[in-house]
Amino acid sequence: MTTSPQDGALLTVEKVHTYYGSIEALKGITIEVHEGEIVTLIGANGAGKSTMLRSINGLNHPRRGSIVFRGKDITREPPHDVVRLGISQSPEGRKLFPRMSVLENLEMGAFQRRDRSELRSDLERVYALFPRLSERKQQRAGTLSGGEQQMVAIGRALMAHPKLLLLDEPSMGLAPIFVERVFETIVEINQQGTTILLVEQNAMMALDVASRGYVLETGTVALADDAKALLRNEQVRKTYLGETD
Amino acid sequence: MAALFGTRRPSGTSLLGLFFVLLLIIWLIVNLVKTPNDFFTVLLIGITTGSVYALIALGYTLVYGILQLINFAHGDVFALSGLFSSTIILSVLGLDENTSALGIIGGLALALVIIVAFGAVVNTTIEFVAYRRLRQAPRLAVLITAVGMSFIVQNVSLAVFDVNFRSLPPLIPESNVFKIGSVTYQWNQLFAVLATIPVLLLLSWLVRSTKQGKGMRAVSQEPDAAAIMGVNVNRTISFTFALAGALAGVGGLLYLIEFNIRYDTGFELGLIAFTAAVLGGIGNLSGAVLGALIIGLIQAFNEGLSWAAPGSDWTRSIVFGLLIGILVFRPEGLLGERTPEGA
Repeated sequence: MTTSPQDGALLTVEKVHTYYGSIEALKGITIEVHEGEIVTLIGANGAGKSTMLRSINGLNHPRRGSIVFRGKDITREPPHDVVRLGISQSPEGRKLFPRMSVLENLEMGAFQRRDRSELRSDLERVYALFPRLSERKQQRAGTLSGGEQQMVAIGRALMAHPKLLLLDEPSMGLAPIFVERVFETIVEINQQGTTILLVEQNAMMALDVASRGYVLETGTVALADDAKALLRNEQVRKTYLGETD
Repeated sequence: MAALFGTRRPSGTSLLGLFFVLLLIIWLIVNLVKTPNDFFTVLLIGITTGSVYALIALGYTLVYGILQLINFAHGDVFALSGLFSSTIILSVLGLDENTSALGIIGGLALALVIIVAFGAVVNTTIEFVAYRRLRQAPRLAVLITAVGMSFIVQNVSLAVFDVNFRSLPPLIPESNVFKIGSVTYQWNQLFAVLATIPVLLLLSWLVRSTKQGKGMRAVSQEPDAAAIMGVNVNRTISFTFALAGALAGVGGLLYLIEFNIRYDTGFELGLIAFTAAVLGGIGNLSGAVLGALIIGLIQAFNEGLSWAAPGSDWTRSIVFGLLIGILVFRPEGLLGERTPEGA
């Protein structure tokens, strides 16, 4: 297994095969994320985007292939150790703890952290990104609107102080005005120094903020290129951006 | 009690429910007026029994909260712990009614510590051996396994402790704590309540305020999200089973002090405690305690009151009839919430 980071890759996923029961959801996928980037995975439903994230975060270990993060092989690492190494995630469908308050949800994001002193400033950072959450910190997460829940999900992931932030469909089910807000926030988080791997159905918006992108099709990488190039790619425009000649 | 039949129900059934509750209240009032002494004596008995039920009901509710599993083996762990406490107290520590007061207090405290550890280890082992491997299996498979584990634990109790009832000599004096009119309350009854309250406070603090407790709540609400936040899910589940087992241990010891116990005591008592947990709202800790107190009271009133009481032959029918009633009229229990997941 590789143990040294190649040309500054923060995360290297190599020829990964991941199964759901007997179904092969990922058929030898290779992707790379470099420090400071926003990388996006786009593709249709069932292309394997979320499975890719579940392979990285340890919820669904690959059967073959390797995942190396900051020079360490994390292919078989359990999820609670993956987050300690610096990868956190806002999962698909948000998956908040509905009967905990907003504040408790945010604190859950920092479950693995020992540096109590820095938590305060991270909480301030989340409240600065999402002033709405500071107003609602005592409210139960289950009673928030969809947009607010998405803020909590992203805020919670940030509370782990990750080196790499995984975002799974952050715009799903949100009103257009919130979608804009979410993507602005993604850029802001990235500019503050967090590398981001973004899974999205909204390919246009995702490619707009990303530096590079991978197009997944039924468990394989169909295309990999700079985001700008993908935006111009005719096949991508037709299939994912809904363009008709 | 009117909340038992919530306003979201069609008025026909809620009226019927209110009617029953009203009948119950009238029955209690008539008894109170006719035989006030009996009424208060029985009330105290009900609270005592209810606190022992609460310890067992909490074990069901804790495990259900985290795995959505009704751990049928729980009542049998309680009985096994009770039997094991009798061995510790009588054979190992050699306590009897002639032991000095200090010796009895120290001995019981030591027995309590041992039995808490014993219950925790047994219950954690059950989870590790039988349930952990079935984490991804359909719910029914786990449920049947739980029934199987119940029989296994029961048979272990039978093999080790034979078919005879075990009981303790009156270690705690059956003298009165107080006597008002002819209403009396004895030390051995008070002991059960006094031991239960700190256990409940400790449990509530553990779940509400410690990191491990927070992890438990997270796993019960969203297991995958808890895992990627850094909660070690398997360890949290083990911890929950340890807590439940410890409570079963305390319950077994307290039950042994009050009553007698044998290998199959846990079966029916487990079902009663389970009913209590469902009555309060399964998965809800305060609900389990409330449900257990209500069932303890129902049982005591039914068996102890004289005017128009069905009597002890009917206790089981009433308790399990209540279970059916809750499942029909208010499946989420008294304090439970209707959640989108239908839990």
